[in-house]
Amino acid sequence: MVTIDLAATPVRQANGLIREAGGRGEDVRVVNPDARHHIGVGLTDPITVRVKGSAGYFCAGLTDGARFEIDSNVGWGLADNMYRGTVIVGGNAGAIAGVAIRGAEVVVRGNVGSRAGQVMKAGTLCCAGDASFMAGTMMYGGRIIILGDSGERLGEDMTGGEIFIGGKVVSLGADAMETDLSADEADGVMAFLDRHRIPFKGRFAKIVNAGAKLRYGTAEPRRRSVPFFVAAGQSDYWNARIQEDIYVKSQIGRYRIRGYGAGRPMPHLNDIAFKADLSGAGSGRDPLSRVTLATEIGGKHGARPLELSMPVMIAPMSFGALSRSSKTALAIASRLSGISENTGEGGMLEDERREADQLIFQCLSGRLGWNIHDMQRADGLEIYISQGAKPGLGGQLMAKKVTKELARIRGIPEGIDLRSPSRHPDILGADDLVIKVEEFREATGYRIPISVKLGAGRVHDDIKIALKDGFDFVELDGLQGSTGASSAEVLEHVGIPTLAAIQEALDALAEIGRAGDLPIVLMGGIKDGVDTAKALALGADAVGLGSAAIIAGGCIACMQCHVGTCVVGIATQDPAHERRYDTQREARNIHRYLEAVRWQLAAIIDGLGYTDYRQLSRDDLVALTPEAAAISRLPLMPESGRVAAP
Amino acid sequence: MCGIAGILYKSDAEDGELGKALIDMLDGCQHRGPDSTGFAVYGRAVAGRLGLRFFVGAAPEATIARIRQALADHGASVVDEETVGDNYRVVVAFDGDVQAFAYAMERAAKLVSIGSSLDIIKDVGGAHDVDDRYGVGEVRGSHGLGHVRLATESDVKPEAAHPFWATGFADVAIVHNGQITNYWKMRRQLEQRDFEFRTDNDSELIAVYLADKLAAGRPLSDVLETSIDDLDGTFSFLVSTDDEIGYAKDRLAAKPMVLYETDEMVAIASEEVSLNRLFPGRALDTTEPAPGTFGTWSRST
Repeated sequence: MVTIDLAATPVRQANGLIREAGGRGEDVRVVNPDARHHIGVGLTDPITVRVKGSAGYFCAGLTDGARFEIDSNVGWGLADNMYRGTVIVGGNAGAIAGVAIRGAEVVVRGNVGSRAGQVMKAGTLCCAGDASFMAGTMMYGGRIIILGDSGERLGEDMTGGEIFIGGKVVSLGADAMETDLSADEADGVMAFLDRHRIPFKGRFAKIVNAGAKLRYGTAEPRRRSVPFFVAAGQSDYWNARIQEDIYVKSQIGRYRIRGYGAGRPMPHLNDIAFKADLSGAGSGRDPLSRVTLATEIGGKHGARPLELSMPVMIAPMSFGALSRSSKTALAIASRLSGISENTGEGGMLEDERREADQLIFQCLSGRLGWNIHDMQRADGLEIYISQGAKPGLGGQLMAKKVTKELARIRGIPEGIDLRSPSRHPDILGADDLVIKVEEFREATGYRIPISVKLGAGRVHDDIKIALKDGFDFVELDGLQGSTGASSAEVLEHVGIPTLAAIQEALDALAEIGRAGDLPIVLMGGIKDGVDTAKALALGADAVGLGSAAIIAGGCIACMQCHVGTCVVGIATQDPAHERRYDTQREARNIHRYLEAVRWQLAAIIDGLGYTDYRQLSRDDLVALTPEAAAISRLPLMPESGRVAAP
Repeated sequence: MCGIAGILYKSDAEDGELGKALIDMLDGCQHRGPDSTGFAVYGRAVAGRLGLRFFVGAAPEATIARIRQALADHGASVVDEETVGDNYRVVVAFDGDVQAFAYAMERAAKLVSIGSSLDIIKDVGGAHDVDDRYGVGEVRGSHGLGHVRLATESDVKPEAAHPFWATGFADVAIVHNGQITNYWKMRRQLEQRDFEFRTDNDSELIAVYLADKLAAGRPLSDVLETSIDDLDGTFSFLVSTDDEIGYAKDRLAAKPMVLYETDEMVAIASEEVSLNRLFPGRALDTTEPAPGTFGTWSRST
């Protein structure tokens, strides 16, 4: 038994000692905890940790296999994302106790705060006292046992799992209903209570998902779809796409879902150009040998940075939206080109991890597929706040794609129309976010860069929060960013264009005297090396390529990603469709495309007379339209109203 | 974008080590807001006297001269004055209309607070930085509030720090964690009634909104209950008057708040870690106020 005194030992050091004790199989006693945060975070050995007092936020968070006994109270996020293991709390728990647990048994002998068990997947959360507001909100599985009363809106939008409540139900949440429980279920609950020596006499009510909101009533009629590149770039008013859209809506009476991003005209990198004479570009035999493109990103707080052979990343795209084969092809191509791959939502694939040299693991609001083991073998962690395609909204994955394997990795029921929440359970402001970032650093020993993905909405404020909350870099995603499924209304009309987003971000950092202090990876409609060079010259530190990478890998851009029957085997989970995808061939295609991007970038830099991409600056650019000039404040060329000198 | 704290010593017989308690609580949650720190402290009121605190900056002579002139113009005679850090603190004898007087002083210089017992001390930096500059730790008093701020929507300036004084009303202060989304709608309603605002900060709005209702003679508990309906957004806030503190929490329970009460005192903070700073090594029997609730405590007489 090791005793750690938190009055004398900082939590970061204490967590190191707890993990070391775990390695030796030795139990730990923590004294003078005084409600400090992150106690035991990241522990993956089956030891017992006794906390002699109160613990703060995320106690036992991101752990697997240990037993935690806390004498008194705990703060927010008890047992966050805990796999196996047990947590016993003698007092009360703050908000989101048992958030996103994936199998653990969590017992709180007192009351639990609001939103207990939010997005939990499996395991049991038991509260011997009363539960506050919205227990079980958006839970996907497992069971919650409440011996006392509920707060308002019990089981709000729960997808799966059960809530057993012994006291009064103040009110049920949306899409939740009360149902009978079987004798077996009642016995199971009583056996759990007996095992934890919790006395209870009375009857339980069982609350489950009512199923009224999970499915769309009418499927979209199948018509020959209009390819994205036909739909984009035409008149905004009346065209073949509008006609088709009106017809389909007349049949279904609701919004439509599609893949891809905004295609309608708006100010973009196309509307700016290089001012200098580029006629020398490409005339040299090998611009690649004369220009430095390699860079590191993510090391500003001491983590091991990502090493990129050029300032380009593969943008986050999920296994789920995309097939295993296409994710694997992206991973191979990222390795061959010396850049990073990103898991997107929904967990890390073995093939992807094996093939990618540098893999960023993305954490979303539903915590689908999120777990301590994959965190520890990632090369970067990314907290997704929102994305350019649908800033502020959650995600949608249609039932056809929610296969057995995918459901297993994500920890959810098979075959549901899966909605991811729009908000993180434990990030409701910059003050919570700073504690979340610290939890991730504790869980991974401060080794791995942590970034934040922001869809462009209120960039001016968000970028300052990203800086102040200590992120290593930010992925900024403009309105033109794509997705596997969203409503066309949001895709085309919500958010701020990529060009405006980068300008707003740079202005906001300059305003507080911190220009250059937060690396920005710009995404959203960046399609090649020319766009990349322009983004870098504007002030981005790197770019993310999403749509361009999958088009290079065989996507025909039919925009039917959400349907699940992708004809080329990319946006599908159906083995019959996925067989059409030749992973090795497409990986080489994506790699070749990335090398073309590299060549374009090098040729432009070389043509401008530079030897390093960091020499690119705004002075190299002009705006071609008044709109682009107004947004970017670049000089408008040709200058309007210029009078020839007499 | 912040952390909040408040404490009230229940017995009127004795003042507590208020400054030291608030510094400890705020240091405990400084991770929630490293940019600036502030304190609203309440001492003993003297009849007919008002304390005022101004930001006067690094070269204060001209500003202080302007303040002295404005005080004289409004019939306030200086009883005591000092310059500390970037502040000019003055106690005056005054018995006129506080609101008109306060607005006039606001125009003369950057007024931090006004009150017969309230004094607000706030500046950039952490709790100990502000203590080093202003000697907060020596302050004894009956009750008070504290705030740590992470600046996002405005600059890191001392005047953007919290707590906020209810502009125009003596002795009312607020600390707030959250975001009021019907800010402009409510502000315009108050501005139509000639209330003035010195910042675009939603905490100042809550302070003025509450103080206006208190000035009409309504009890604090009643005013807090109404505020839960009137304010839209996410909030956990603490309010103090010359002899009470209270809290209100939004119905979405989006912002944390933990409470610990004994026979002698009540302490409320964003996180239990702050409360434990007052009682190191002890497991406290704390409670988390429920969504959509409020509470008040007053000095016993």
